[in-house]
Amino acid sequence: MPDRLLDTKYRIPPRRPGLIGRPRLDALLEDGREARLMLVSAPAGFGKTTLLVEWLAGSAADERAVAWLSLDPRDNDPAVFWAYLATAIEAAAPGIGASALAVLQAPGASTESALAALLNDLGDFASGFVVILDDYHVIESGAVNDGMTFILEHLPAGVHLVIAGRADPSLPLAKLRSRGELVEIRAADLRFTDPESAVYLNTGMGLELDEADVATLAARTEGWIAALQMAAVAMRGREDVSSFITDFAGDDRYIVDYLLEEVLQRQSATVRDFLLGTSILGRLNGPLCDAVTGQDGGRATLESLDRSNLFVVALDDRRQWYRYHHLFADVLRARLLDEQPDRVAELHLRASAWLEEDGDRAEAIRHSMAAGDFVRAADLVELALSASRKDRQEATLRSWLEALPPEAIREKPVLSLAMAGALLANGELAGVEEQLANTEAWLSTADETDPEVRGLRSALTVYRAAQSNALGDADASMAFARRALDLVDKDDHIGQGAAAGLLALAHWSRGDLEDAHDLWAGAVTSLQKAGHLSDAIGCSMAVADIRIQQGGLTEAMGVYAWGLELSAAQDSVLRGTADMHVGMSELFLQRGDLDSASRHLLASEELGEDAGLPQNRYRSKVAMALVREAEGDPGAALDLLDEARHLYVGDFYPDVRPVAALRARTLLALGRTLEALDWVRDRALSTDDELSYVREFEHITLARIRMAQAVGDKTAEPLRDASRLLERLLVAAKEGGRLGSVIEILVLQALARKSSGQIDSAVTTLREAVALGEHELYVRAFTSNGAILVPLLRGLIKAPGAPRHARRLLAVLNKSKPNAASSPGSGTRELIEPLSGRELDVLQLLDTALTGPAIARELVVSLNTVRSHTKSIFAKFGVNNRREAVSRARDLGLLPRSTSG
Amino acid sequence: MSAESSDHVSLRYEIRVVGHLDPRWSAWFEGLSLSLENDGTTLISGPIPDQAALHGVLRRLRDIGLTLVSITQIDAMGPADT
Repeated sequence: MPDRLLDTKYRIPPRRPGLIGRPRLDALLEDGREARLMLVSAPAGFGKTTLLVEWLAGSAADERAVAWLSLDPRDNDPAVFWAYLATAIEAAAPGIGASALAVLQAPGASTESALAALLNDLGDFASGFVVILDDYHVIESGAVNDGMTFILEHLPAGVHLVIAGRADPSLPLAKLRSRGELVEIRAADLRFTDPESAVYLNTGMGLELDEADVATLAARTEGWIAALQMAAVAMRGREDVSSFITDFAGDDRYIVDYLLEEVLQRQSATVRDFLLGTSILGRLNGPLCDAVTGQDGGRATLESLDRSNLFVVALDDRRQWYRYHHLFADVLRARLLDEQPDRVAELHLRASAWLEEDGDRAEAIRHSMAAGDFVRAADLVELALSASRKDRQEATLRSWLEALPPEAIREKPVLSLAMAGALLANGELAGVEEQLANTEAWLSTADETDPEVRGLRSALTVYRAAQSNALGDADASMAFARRALDLVDKDDHIGQGAAAGLLALAHWSRGDLEDAHDLWAGAVTSLQKAGHLSDAIGCSMAVADIRIQQGGLTEAMGVYAWGLELSAAQDSVLRGTADMHVGMSELFLQRGDLDSASRHLLASEELGEDAGLPQNRYRSKVAMALVREAEGDPGAALDLLDEARHLYVGDFYPDVRPVAALRARTLLALGRTLEALDWVRDRALSTDDELSYVREFEHITLARIRMAQAVGDKTAEPLRDASRLLERLLVAAKEGGRLGSVIEILVLQALARKSSGQIDSAVTTLREAVALGEHELYVRAFTSNGAILVPLLRGLIKAPGAPRHARRLLAVLNKSKPNAASSPGSGTRELIEPLSGRELDVLQLLDTALTGPAIARELVVSLNTVRSHTKSIFAKFGVNNRREAVSRARDLGLLPRSTSG
Repeated sequence: MSAESSDHVSLRYEIRVVGHLDPRWSAWFEGLSLSLENDGTTLISGPIPDQAALHGVLRRLRDIGLTLVSITQIDAMGPADT
């Protein structure tokens, strides 16, 4: 949210007297009433705004609510634009737009969900809505245009958008045009015809021109309304009107130059000076004009300009705020620049001082920059920094920092650090060091007992950790992050979360899973406390990833359920919600529940791209590929993995399951071993490599490829290679506490032993894997290897004391279709309606000794809420009591097989 | 040499608009020179640092309602005049 919203931006401009009707355009405007979009596109001074104001005053609105927004360059910050749009709509129909405003203020909320809330509200407004965006040509922001495209494509019936500007907007106009949903009013439509010019000049402006004079003027101005208006002002009170017209028509000069000269000549020196001096202002009122000109009577001058039609436009009905007609202001400014270049800076400075005093900091900054006073600008930006960061105006902040010269930023450690932060956030590492070193140099002489200095020191240390991490220096990153955790104030939750997250990353990339887990969990808590919910969800992905590697599938499921619950409790969908569904999909797949896996992928897709973190674009494709492969379609899986490869965005998380390695595995499933070998060569992998945590997945993949080679190879060499590698991998995975890898490696070892004829040893190895996988219901880790496991499982079951899980796996493999795997045995069915995130939470606690009230306390909800969740769980399971529910949940894989181990 | 590869070099452009523009506009167009042609057009010319600056000039033309006739890049070699 901007620090202050100017209500003159979202008021319908007052009507002006002396305007002429334009019945010629009625038919077009009538069509515009019903069109999805009416575009009024023409150069400056063609009467676009006036046309719309008159249209609204006439029949356009009827019962409809009308929201008006006059745009200016500051609206290129999406945070500012959407806040104004929602406020304009709220002003037109109180209550509508409020929910979108609430969403916009929530940290981490996606823009799309705010817009969806807005569209919902608009659609519910029975009597219809017209939303008018004037001066849209100032919008260059891709993010704003994307959002407007979204709005256009989802506009409810009864809501009509009008966009006016000097250039066609970057919106899908061709598509709307081809669907007949666009009405256009362009320069050719807006130009005054000869009869219109006559009515305007004679009736509107009180001149008495004959037909020939009117025709001459209309021809010279080509019906350009602004020019006709200037001509009328220049002719007013003149005796020699005809000779004026003749001279004007015979002149080659740019119309505006010619007419402005005529107009200004007829003003007093004071008024001329006033016009030039105040031309730098975007909005004018009496006191501001006085401050800028250093004179009195600004308000009276404005009123007299208004009365004599001298190109000022009242912005409110009380006529306190005005602006110059845009074209006129530009022409005046050009003249000021030429005639009094030395005065320009001083004028801007005076404006800046007045506006700062008045609380319009953004405009004050703009004027101090225009004055070239970057010291002052830097001071103001520094003041604006904390407010702006809280309000998410990153785009505005970044544009200020970029507009300041490097020396101005160097002077101020706060700005230097902010610049480093902005660069780091965009992954632009090149300029970071300079800013950090600068801050460090400043801090070296500062008083470290000053709380502000300490705050800077801790922020600097966090950025140092982030910088080292981005540069791949885990040791340095760890050292900085550790120091940062000590330095950051305990109440600074964002700082704590950032430091903990960076330290967690360093631990994670070394394979210190338990430490990494605890630090990530701490980061999640801090970020949640800070209200940065989307970031908290992002970090919880790391918590779940790590738990999955450690074999804690249930706990990981709990993390995803927590994320969904957190999102559901907000007014809007949090960014990262889609990621939670994708994570769940993979867990369901591991547990053999293909239907649920697909359902969660669908849920992620339906939420839209904006509900996912940037990584979700490729992560969701990977999850989809895994599902396709489980469904027996490795070809489709390969295509999806190729898509994933193109969508891959690196984050700082260690890439422990590279898409290219997954692709090599899918190539194996397709029998394309030679291509898989290409990947081995590309990655320079060898079975003799030193092992490391981050390359584990690649090395297990290599073992698989060697085993596939062994099938067609008469020598025993590939198999021996694979076995040696697997032996080493097993030791490393056990040491690192990576249960998921241990299970996978054991299954491969069993298969390798079977291939070399050691059946007993193979069964024993598989037995170990099955026993390890029983508790958390690992299914896919076994079944992905296909029917080749069946004889071994049969052998395993024959032996006394075989794990129950072995029968289940066999049942899954024996089914023709690989789904329905999680519910073996008789009498179990798939759930028709999946459990909600909160129901999954309750379910976890039903599997404890906790009483109902204790569960309510644990989840911080009322007992009634727990009861209603429990009832819903019973209904979905088709059971009648807690014991049956727990047992059914075990069958479905929603709870581990046995809590006693 | 392509325009993209010479980001650090100002290229000279000639922009032709309808009407005779008063020389006082030169400051508004960041010091570009204006020459009035016999055919009633004005040639706005001079070095323009990069594409973004060129678009800035075009936007200024648009904002004061000038009718654009043509834009020509008149040389692509060498550094800006000093």
